[in-house]
Amino acid sequence: MLGSYGLSTYIWNNRLKSLVLLAGFPVLLLLICFGVALLIAAWSDPSVDQGLADAIAITPQLVPVALGGAAIWFLIAWFANTGIVAMATGAHGIERSDNPRLWNILETLCISRGITMPRLSIIDTGALNAFASGVHKGQYRITVTRGLLEALNDQELEAVLAHELTHIENRDVQLLVIAAVFVGIVSLAGDVLIRGPRFFLFNTGGYGGGYSGGSGYSGGGRSRDRSERGGGGGAIVLVLIAVAIFLIARLLAIVLRLAMSRKREFLADAGSVELTKNPDAMISALRKIAGHSEMPAPAQIQEMFLDHPAAHGLTGLFDTHPSIDDRIAALVRYGAGRDPGPLPQVSASTTTVPETNPAPTAPHPWGEPTPPASGPWGTPETPPAPHPWGEPQP
Amino acid sequence: MGLWIVIIVIVLIAIYLVMIYNRLVSLRQITGQAWSDVSVQLKQRHDLVPNLVETVKGYAAHERGTLEAVTQARNAAVAASSPQAQAAAENMLTGALRQLFALSEAYPDLKASQNFQQLQGDLSDLENKIAASRRFFNNAVQEYNSSIQQFPAVLVAGSLGFTPKTFFDVDDSERAAVNAAPQVKF
Repeated sequence: MLGSYGLSTYIWNNRLKSLVLLAGFPVLLLLICFGVALLIAAWSDPSVDQGLADAIAITPQLVPVALGGAAIWFLIAWFANTGIVAMATGAHGIERSDNPRLWNILETLCISRGITMPRLSIIDTGALNAFASGVHKGQYRITVTRGLLEALNDQELEAVLAHELTHIENRDVQLLVIAAVFVGIVSLAGDVLIRGPRFFLFNTGGYGGGYSGGSGYSGGGRSRDRSERGGGGGAIVLVLIAVAIFLIARLLAIVLRLAMSRKREFLADAGSVELTKNPDAMISALRKIAGHSEMPAPAQIQEMFLDHPAAHGLTGLFDTHPSIDDRIAALVRYGAGRDPGPLPQVSASTTTVPETNPAPTAPHPWGEPTPPASGPWGTPETPPAPHPWGEPQP
Repeated sequence: MGLWIVIIVIVLIAIYLVMIYNRLVSLRQITGQAWSDVSVQLKQRHDLVPNLVETVKGYAAHERGTLEAVTQARNAAVAASSPQAQAAAENMLTGALRQLFALSEAYPDLKASQNFQQLQGDLSDLENKIAASRRFFNNAVQEYNSSIQQFPAVLVAGSLGFTPKTFFDVDDSERAAVNAAPQVKF
């Protein structure tokens, strides 16, 4: 079968999985259409069997409407998205002269991949984070925090930039906009329709009757009578089914979206290793970021963050990002990376670059032995490479 | 109806097989790219060695044995073809270089030489890059080798020309020598 034996197969399989997740959204939309159809059918208060049959008959007519709605919403979100990002983060764009180090690292990466260099922004905060934004060519932008620039050495910074670059190459921003639109539609449908029918059923029986008469469904008069008595047995069951569908669809939409978001994070990590060929730098960058990535921003943007710790729940089902440990485990397993273990929380603050970076002239440039690394052939070789140019530059 | 199901199943199987084939081709391609990355780094190291030998000669010309060993090891490394042979030759070169650097202990002038220090820094830097690119190459080879040994790829891989590749690696006793980058002593 299609197993993951290394970096490339891991990337391909993750892509397939997130495609499958994406395909789940239209299914949910169909489910919602069926729920709406159930409500429409319930207005004429048929028996349960008859109502289900009616609902199935109506559903195909609703699908184009739903798709049209999704398209319009999507267009609005597409254009609003960029505005939100620009306003909400307080990032300011930079030129090469503002931070040649950052600029050059990104430029080198882009040249090696033959892609247009995204624009760069910096946020003046001590938090360690970064994100990619922009939904079409010419608009792509990578934003990093000042804290990140100070805490990471060149290889780690390169790994982080490669991670964000992979988000851009994978069109993850677009994907998240699409996911957000679907979640929005499903939630909105639920909100409107769960409240709506109660109103119609119990207060305006006449309306329900008129509708069903006009549409040619049977039993319009009966519906009015029962509705006014508040005891439409079939209708109540149908409405309950519809409500259940809305609630389930809503939950599923959120879970799907977040699962996809997590897949894309794993993908970006793997893509970063593929670009830089240096899994250790990505791992040590993640280690430094762990516990220091908190930063206020709208939820839309936080999904694109390098890490989003506020979301790490117990089960992980409602996280936008996988936990740092899971991401490192994946890098070790598929990228042949070596994990030096968690950093002491103090050392990874904004100014110091930890002891993983001794002077290259020391007799043993890579001093202490690394903890068990499970690369494909096990032997610990060189831990995070201390390059001569690896000195932190403030 | 039944016919359609058969057709759909056949199409799905065909898509699956094409996908596996394409994956194998890509994986082989990636090992090729990874190997050329390694080669680029190795070549840079080979190009540095003559400079180093010349520099050392200027200060310690009578250490002929060590200098010749380095030159020979370098030439052997340049001539090596397969990853396996290359790995062994590179090991020799690493060992010879280590001796050369150990030798510089006895020559304060050499040690103080700007040129020598520069070369030493470049070499240690290259060692790191070689280690990184070698690891990436070996990971790619491991992935490719595993993939062609999986069912159903294993049934056709051989006849389609997907043969296992060798690692850029040496056995364990020699591995230690590669891993310890040149001992740079002052």
